[in-house]
Order: sequence, then C-alpha cells, then structure tokens
Amino acid sequence: MSDTTQNEALLTTRNVTVTYDLTHEALHKTDLTFKGGEVTALIGPSGCGKSTFLRCLNLMNREIPKCRVGGEIFYHGRNINTKTENLFELRKSIGMVFQQPTPFRKSIRENILFAPKKHGRLHGKDEEDELVETSLKQAALWDEVKDKLKQSAHALSGGQQQRLCIARTLAMKPDVILYDEPCSALDPISTFTIEETIRSIAEAGAGICQIIVTHNMEQAGRVSDRTAFFYMGDMVETGTTQQIFSAPKDQRLSDYLTGRFG
Amino acid sequence: MANRNLDAHVKRIGLQNKIATGILTCIVGFVLVLLAAIVVYILVQGAGKALSPGFLTNPSTDDVAPGILYQLFDSFYMLLITLVISVPISLGAAIFLVEYAPDNWITSAASTAIETLSSLPSIVVGMFGSLFFVVTLGWGISIIAGALALTMFNIPILVRTIQQALEDVPRSQHDAALAMGLTRWETTVNVMLPAAMPAIVTGIVISAGRVFGEAAALIFTSGSAAARLNFASTNLASPTNPFNIFRPAETLAVHIWKLKMEPTPGNDEIVWGTAAVLLVCVLLFNVLARVLGKFLARRLTAE
Repeated sequence: MSDTTQNEALLTTRNVTVTYDLTHEALHKTDLTFKGGEVTALIGPSGCGKSTFLRCLNLMNREIPKCRVGGEIFYHGRNINTKTENLFELRKSIGMVFQQPTPFRKSIRENILFAPKKHGRLHGKDEEDELVETSLKQAALWDEVKDKLKQSAHALSGGQQQRLCIARTLAMKPDVILYDEPCSALDPISTFTIEETIRSIAEAGAGICQIIVTHNMEQAGRVSDRTAFFYMGDMVETGTTQQIFSAPKDQRLSDYLTGRFG
Repeated sequence: MANRNLDAHVKRIGLQNKIATGILTCIVGFVLVLLAAIVVYILVQGAGKALSPGFLTNPSTDDVAPGILYQLFDSFYMLLITLVISVPISLGAAIFLVEYAPDNWITSAASTAIETLSSLPSIVVGMFGSLFFVVTLGWGISIIAGALALTMFNIPILVRTIQQALEDVPRSQHDAALAMGLTRWETTVNVMLPAAMPAIVTGIVISAGRVFGEAAALIFTSGSAAARLNFASTNLASPTNPFNIFRPAETLAVHIWKLKMEPTPGNDEIVWGTAAVLLVCVLLFNVLARVLGKFLARRLTAE
C-alpha cells in the first residue's frame, strides 16, 4: 500500500518450528521475511500458530517452560535463535504490544521513561521530557495527555492505554514492533485510532518494521502491506495484502476469507 | 400443561432461592453476633481496668496500681523483631517460588514443607525453640528466642500471602516488562512488587495481629518473668535495657496466661484489663491492614 524506500530485510525466519510440552507442535517450519517500513499482518483462525510465531521473533517463547523453538531467526542477518543470544539486549530493539493494554502502575510519564531509564539511556530532565513528548506524539496520544503526564496510566481509557503501550515501545527506539492482537480488547473507535497510529509509524519513514497478529481480516486489509495466512500450525500463503485478499491461491485461504470457518 | 409445569418450576426455584438466601444470611449473622459478643463482653469486663489510672503506664510490680507498661512494650518489641526477621525471608522465598522456581519436585516439596510448617502446633514450635535456641545455642530465655519461634510460624503465613499477591498481578504486566528488555529481577522489583504491594502490606499487618496475640510459643522461649526495664539505660547488654534482645520478656498474651495460673486477689481484674488492651491492639491491626491496603492501592492506581 505505502511505497516505502527502506527495503532492508530486518527479520527472516527459516524453518521455525515450535513445540509445547515437548510433543505438541504448534508451528511447523515457517519461512518468512519482514522488511523495514512495512506492516505485515499475520492472520488465521484461533490456534493456527500466528501468535506463537510472533512470540518467536523477540524470543518471548523462552519464558514459557517446556517450549522449544527450532530453526533459524535472522535479525540484521544474525541468527538470534541461539543459546548465547542476549535476550535482554535483543528485546530493547524488538518491541512488543500485547492483547490487553499493559500499562504499569505508574504515571503516564514514568510508563514511557521506565525502561529507557533502566537501560541507562537518559541523562537529565531535558532528554526525558523530549522522549516523553516525541513518543507520545508518535503514538497520537500527546494532545490527550499532555496536561496530565503525572497522573496514573490506569486512569486512561483502554484505547489510550494501548496507545501509551505503543508510545512506551517507541520510546525504546526499536526497529521492529510486534503487535499481538492489539485491538481485540478495544471498541471500534479506539481500534481505528490504533490502526491510524500503526499506519503513521509505517509512513513516518523511520524504517520501523511492524508485524501485527489479528483475527480481524478487515483490520489486516486496512493496516498491512503484506499478509501471511496461518492454518493449523502451517504458514500457508504469503504475499502483498492486495494479492492475498483479491487473488488467494490456496483453497484454505479463500475459504477463510469467505467466512467458511474462522 | 407445559405452562403450568413451568409456573410450578419457577415457583419452586423461587422458594429454593429464598430459603438458601435465608440460611446463608443467618450463618453470616451468627458469625457477626459471635464476634460482637466476644468483643463486647471482654471490653465490658476489662475496659474499666484498662482505662484506670496507671494501668498502661505502670510496671506490673507496682504495689499500688500494677499495670502492664512493660508487657505492652515487650509485645510490640517482640513483634518488631519477629517482622524484621520474617518479612525479608518470606519475601525472598515467595519471590523465588513465583518467579524463579523451576516446575519440579524440589519446588513442590518446598511448597509442601511451608504449608506443613504453618500447621505445626505452636506449643510444639515453642518446645523446639526452647530446646534449640534457648538451650543448644545457649541464648537463654530471651526475646530473640521468642521472636525466632514466632518467625517459624509467621513465615508460612507470609509466604502464602506474598505468593498469592504476586500471582494476582496480571501475567501481562510481567511479560510487558520482559518484552522491554528488562531482566527478571528488574521486572520483579520494579513492576511486580509495586503492583502487589497493597496486598503484601495487608498480609503483613494481618499476620502481625496473629503474632501479637501468640502465647504458647513464647512461654518456653521468651519466658513469663515480669521484665524490669530501665528506659534510660544506654547499655545494650544490660538485662534492663528495653532494646536488649537477649533479655527475657513477657508479652501481653503470656501475661494473661501467667496471671490466670497464679490466682491471687485482684488478678482477675488485671487479666480482663490486659485482655481488653490485647483485643483492641489486634482489632487495630486489622483496621490498619484495611486502611493501609486501600491507601496504597489508591496511590498506585490514581496517584
């Protein structure tokens, strides 16, 4: 949809396979490539492996006991699916936004500054103020909260909380943002604002690669440049969003798009 | 026909609902009446003595108006020492069990051990304390021996509450912090503990109320000798220094037990007075727990 000039392949997966409890295979040999500046939607029915796949990309699956991730995940050309990979360094540049808004029990300002401060990135109040303002502006939240930055983030509405979580992620200056069904707990208007935010991040030209898991096909159509369809642990088909929606090749995908299951 | 059946059914479940609600209301009412009766009875019996001049400010050895000053001080001091020892240990154990412990037999054995510890009879814990801390370690009848005995059954209660408080924090908070590149420790200290703090503080204060009223575990460990304290003392090793943890101490609950064991004229009044003071303290702990918990929760959610 958007014509982006930043086409560097940021993330590439090769033969990524996930098993839970050592026996149950949730995802089978998935190969995908994600580029800077693009929004990719991962769609498919519940339990198809799309969220599982997303959680491989920042190695969040490592937090689940008895979950094994096989295959290779290349980030800037380097395989990160290794035992020696520093998870904590990696997650500073691959951010994640969750299904439920997850603001910390802190003020709006502290929610933004918390992680950058912990990582020792900020020096002085001026830098802090600037980071708070730019992050909130990028997430289209600044105008609504600029007068109450010291108030608790829990006092915000669900949609605002979710945009705060996006702002908080942006404050880390990531080059990849993963969204795990970010609108499933939100009303249509908040959903629309989040989608606008995602599009504006994509079009800002910062080359941030965004990957969004959604069960809402209209949403995938609205926000993404590329789409990948998952079904029963397999990545069945991938292409530009336009091609996936207008000319699906696989029968399962066209059945899904026409609402035969889901 | 079907309609009549339905009507009868609606009538029946309506009646069932009424009867069940009635019974449950009665049960709750009974519990309330029970508590109120105990509190009122003890307060009526003891308030006169408790408020009499000198009762809260005189030592129990006073010839004219024996009071409970030292017992009151020792109860709070014992509680303080107990909490200073048991809170950090319980916090560490709970954090380990929730955040770090692998899901294996050692962890489940540890959880079982903690639960078993909580059901040990307190008199048996007192026996152990007297044999081990008092005799084997040679500390003698002392505050520290008493506080350690209290610690032994305060730990399981605290570990349980803190564990519960941490588990009640939404998992997504934890994941969100990890996804921002924080370590587990940073996540625990900066995200999980603050979120769980209201419940943790409430748990600690409620456990304090239980520790405050404990007698059986203390009889053999910190003793029932009326302390002789000198609040002007600056020598921490002196047996009359109030803050010396190696001196014997008699708490309010033990004081009640001792006076009942040696019936002398006038003792009963002191017993009731002491009971009233003890009860008021424990009730205050419960009120404090609620107030503090609510205050912290409000501060954390709405600054």
